[in-house]
Amino acid sequence: MRIQVNARNRGYEFEARPDERVLHAGLRAGIALPYECATGTCGTCKATLVGGTVADGWAGAPGKKLVKPERREFLMCQCAASADLTLEVDKFVHAAEAGACTPDSCSVVLRAPRQIAPDVMAFSVQLEQPRDFDAGQFVLLAPLAMTGYRAYSMCNFERGARRLDFVVKRKPDGGFSEWLFGANREGERLSMFGPLGSATFDPMLAKNVLCIAGGSGIAGMMSILARAWRERYFERWRGWVFFGVRTMRDTFFLDELSSFQREFPERVQITVALSDEDVPASAARDWPALGFERGLVHEVTERVMTGKYHDVRAYVAGPPPCVDAAIRVLLLKAKLTTNNIRYDKYS
Amino acid sequence: MARRVVCRAADVPENGLKEVEIEGGLKLLVANAGGEFFGFQATCPHQDVPLCEGVFDGSTLTCHMHLWQWDVRTGAPLGLAEAPLQKYSLAVEGDSLYLAGAATALDVGEIFNGIASATLDELAGLARSETFPPGTVLYRPGDAAEDFFVLDAGRVEFLVGRGERTTPGGFMLKKGEVFGWAALLDGYPARIASARCLEESRLLRINGKAALGVLERDPAAGFIVMRRLAALIARYLASSGAQ
Ligand SMILES: Cc1cc2nc3c(=O)[nH]c(=O)nc-3n(C[C@H](O)[C@H](O)[C@H](O)COP(=O)(O)OP(=O)(O)OC[C@H]3O[C@@H](n4cnc5c(N)ncnc54)[C@H](O)[C@@H]3O)c2cc1C
Ligand code: FES
Ligand code: FES
Repeated sequence: MRIQVNARNRGYEFEARPDERVLHAGLRAGIALPYECATGTCGTCKATLVGGTVADGWAGAPGKKLVKPERREFLMCQCAASADLTLEVDKFVHAAEAGACTPDSCSVVLRAPRQIAPDVMAFSVQLEQPRDFDAGQFVLLAPLAMTGYRAYSMCNFERGARRLDFVVKRKPDGGFSEWLFGANREGERLSMFGPLGSATFDPMLAKNVLCIAGGSGIAGMMSILARAWRERYFERWRGWVFFGVRTMRDTFFLDELSSFQREFPERVQITVALSDEDVPASAARDWPALGFERGLVHEVTERVMTGKYHDVRAYVAGPPPCVDAAIRVLLLKAKLTTNNIRYDKYS
Repeated sequence: MARRVVCRAADVPENGLKEVEIEGGLKLLVANAGGEFFGFQATCPHQDVPLCEGVFDGSTLTCHMHLWQWDVRTGAPLGLAEAPLQKYSLAVEGDSLYLAGAATALDVGEIFNGIASATLDELAGLARSETFPPGTVLYRPGDAAEDFFVLDAGRVEFLVGRGERTTPGGFMLKKGEVFGWAALLDGYPARIASARCLEESRLLRINGKAALGVLERDPAAGFIVMRRLAALIARYLASSGAQ
């Protein structure tokens, strides 16, 4: 199927596989079509159909609240072409940046699922072909028996990776999380599309790095830290990590975070923010490399970071209200410019 | 027409935002910038998200969804924003705010907005408002680029190339957007694309040489316009060479 996209600056043409989402086909062709969640919730991938017909993969997608069907608008991340298409995207659309990792689909095998906190499961997927991705990116995953992709951020970093690591927070009645928590899924096949996302870190950045994570939002930060560690980034630059959870019981990755901190004790500061309980006395004893504070993660960030925002790039990930609150601090208190605020809303 | 009340000044907190619906159903965002009031379209030009949920520091307004930003004094786009905000002038009388009028397409536009009002008036004096039915071809490749256009309402499509071998060169949607800007460049007298109205479209047509004359007499405005034009061209160039 041939797809013609007219954007505000120019037009593009690309080919889609049968049943392939319009967004995936465009991204695969190296065209940076707009998206954010890539999973039907945010509405960012909205386009207008000028010619042809699309098959909607998810009629109930929450992102549709921004879509006006009477104006033939649709979500490119959920719809596939059922004939040649002409569509309009009301944005400037550029070719993907040189050196960006081009996403594609493939089939992967789930490995080593393990519970690492009462509501958090870690697992890996094994790839047949090595894949490149950038630190901070995510992929879409779907068990073969389930409709609809879910987005999960990689925790590891490696060029030519054959294994991707993830953490998933359990969502009551959530399709993917209940599937994962419900039984041992070792060896299950999933389809994958990726890598995606622009909240990426590259050592060429040459700035101090501030990571703010709500809950499983720490996933992408682990990938960023892994890359920074590998390249000895924190020998020159400062790093701050804020990891927000409800209580000590909900923490995970504290061993890994402690090792990062000990590697660069002068320049890296890691703070765990507990929103629902006072910091227990045992925390500082058990995790001497980490700081602990009571409060929501954006509040704790604001307290600790005052006066330290010089030359900073911030990464934010987690539930949307947490990300919005942190962005508010970064704009109003830190006075960061928007190109130095990179975020993923786990919507 | 009777002047329309917007709200009480005290309803908009200092360096804060408020959405109001005024008589006639028009929704406005009112921003209080240190005691000065500015009115804007209530929803983000990107994706109908209410701007009153945005972040405002007293001078820059940020939409929280994708961080588009605007200068609150002019509505001009900053940073990631790809479109200006439609601005409405507000008048303060006693303790109330009144709607004093909507900005013209020229004022909304990303190239001219914020320049001295006398200069803007002169440019507006040069502008002819013309309405074209759907299908009208405004110009073709090779035509002399004498005039540039500001979109007031409707939709225009651009095609690059000739005859059978044309590729869409993007399209124009936002009120206030300028096209055919080759007319503002010296020594660049011919069109390189064709422009066609997809819907009935209302355009302001302005002679490029005459506009340059006005800008020469107000070099401060001329500098702003040329800098914006350079940024606009850079944005279009960023994607050429692709595909
Ligand atoms: C960029 C990004 C990165 C993320 N990274 C992580 C991470 O690292 N760890 C983590 O725990 N969570 C992450 N999330 C959240 C994650 O994608 C899921 O939303 C969450 O795990 C809940 O999934 P669920 O299947 O359990 O819940 P559900 O409520 O069943 O589904 C949640 C999401 O799945 C999709 N979906 C559901 N039904 C359909 C359908 N019929 N058709 C198509 N799509 C459907 C929708 O996107 C929906 O919002 C991320 C989200 C985003 C946007
Ligand atoms: S990118 Fe399609 S709805 Fe978010
Ligand atoms: S909706 Fe406002 S910036 Fe996207």
